[in-house]
Amino acid sequence: MEAEQPPSTWRHRRLRHRQTDPLAAQRRRVGLLFTLPGVGLIGALLIYPIGQTVYHSFTSWDGITSRWVGGATYSHLVHNPEFTQVLENNAILVLAIPVAIAFPLAVAFLIHGKIRGWRFFRSVFFLPTAVSWVVIGFISVRFFANDGILQHLLNNVGLGFVHPDMLSHERSALVAVMITFVWSMFGTNLIIFLAGMATIDEEIYDAARVDGAGSFSVMFRITIPLLKRFVQFTFIITLITAFTALFSLIFVMTGGGPGYGTTTLEFFIYEQAFSAGDFGLASTAGVVLFVAVAAVTLLQLRLLRIED
Amino acid sequence: MSSIELRVRLVDRRWRRVISRTLIYLAFAVITVVMLYPFYYMALNAFRSLDQYYAGHGFSLASWRNLFNALPVGRELLNSTIITLGAIALILVVSTTGGYAFAVLRYRASRLVFLVVVATMMVPMQSIIAPEYVNLANLGFINHRYGAILVYAALGAPFSTFLMTTYFRRIPEDVIEAALIDGLGYGRVFFLIMLPLALPAIFTIAVLQFIQVWDDLLIGLLFLQTPDVRPITVGLATIPSQHLLDVPLLMAGSLISALPAVVVYLIFQRYLMTGLTMGISK
Repeated sequence: MEAEQPPSTWRHRRLRHRQTDPLAAQRRRVGLLFTLPGVGLIGALLIYPIGQTVYHSFTSWDGITSRWVGGATYSHLVHNPEFTQVLENNAILVLAIPVAIAFPLAVAFLIHGKIRGWRFFRSVFFLPTAVSWVVIGFISVRFFANDGILQHLLNNVGLGFVHPDMLSHERSALVAVMITFVWSMFGTNLIIFLAGMATIDEEIYDAARVDGAGSFSVMFRITIPLLKRFVQFTFIITLITAFTALFSLIFVMTGGGPGYGTTTLEFFIYEQAFSAGDFGLASTAGVVLFVAVAAVTLLQLRLLRIED
Repeated sequence: MSSIELRVRLVDRRWRRVISRTLIYLAFAVITVVMLYPFYYMALNAFRSLDQYYAGHGFSLASWRNLFNALPVGRELLNSTIITLGAIALILVVSTTGGYAFAVLRYRASRLVFLVVVATMMVPMQSIIAPEYVNLANLGFINHRYGAILVYAALGAPFSTFLMTTYFRRIPEDVIEAALIDGLGYGRVFFLIMLPLALPAIFTIAVLQFIQVWDDLLIGLLFLQTPDVRPITVGLATIPSQHLLDVPLLMAGSLISALPAVVVYLIFQRYLMTGLTMGISK
């Protein structure tokens, strides 16, 4: 029988060595010093306010004085018909996500088939990512407006009698926002899928081809299953963008209207705080948004970890 | 199988290949038009007068004159530049120091602190916008560019720190240990060895944040309301309503506000794309 050795003697020795070492003390000191700026910034401007948001979600708050009202703001929010519509709008936004993933996934599959000039196509498709939602919003208004590009297209193909006038009706205005959103997410998700496809071993494709698999069965049986992690990642990114990054687009395109037709949760928070002056209700809605985003993110991360 | 049959099959396969290639390029041409037409429309109509816009042809610089009369464009572009560069500088300081500390200078609880920092990536700005506004107002930071710079830096810091940490973790420990044996302290290791090695990651963060901050509206809209400090996106989004029907003016404003970020994108797109995918590759 061999003498029992601690599994990693050298490591213990090294740790002990480090603890007595003046260098180790320096490491800890410099380590603390170097974390301070970031932690200070994030602590003061992200963590502290999220605590305030949670606290004030239980208060009636106008920005100056606040009064504890317990869960009253929550029940107030739930019974608010506008808020019901806001949640409905967010639910409808979710419907855009499969579209925003499917298109770039299909195109990534085509680009990966070694198309000549794919770098050019990639740059073009990714361009909207570099452009402000404000600019995209202004152009999008010109597209969907009653006298806009869409109407001109319809006139040119002999459908001039159709007047969608999408921005003037609640549901169609939301659909216009969703189309713009899918259009601008296209490049971002495409880049992610291309990065994902680069991780797949070419030999698998060769083997599949030898076995006589056609393009479609390669895509559905091999590429998509192997890209699962990337599909889930784009799902998180797309959902978070839809829920938390469309403020500027909505502000420019529709101003949340007509009615509450395009008021999503994030826009509702802005309106409550800075138009209605109800900082308490804005905080309550802020908690709802935070919980929604955190829940989806954690759930997805959990799924990823279990499968690894 | 007869040789004729075989040849028919080969020709058949070649034809199918040609057809599928053609269809792919056709699809790509359509997508390219869909992606580029809006920008073409913007650039075209930015150089028309209002009458030419309605007529559908012509070239004029009238829209630019009107734009500069309606908005202090130069001032707003300067503000955008100052705010963007300020935020990038601050983000680089906190993310390189933080990333170095979390990756190399581990101390007790540093892992926990790192997890908290990463978790703050999930905080949506809109969730904290009300208390953030009240806090900065109480400090008198509203309508000062440094107020917005601080908020942008805080928003960009978690992801950038995460990115720097994963980057520094990939640098072999031997490199650091060798330098320490040579008598460099941890501080000098950072400045003389780690920072030069991290230049690609630093570039990636700078490009990502340039586009993020330059293109943003919400922070500027709330924290920078006066014309002398507000960035171009705010000026454009809150343009007085009498100009909202002047499409050439709006397109000229859109063009000039989009241009800097697009130029940065076209020059540095490689960094932007790696930054985007860095979050998933382990």
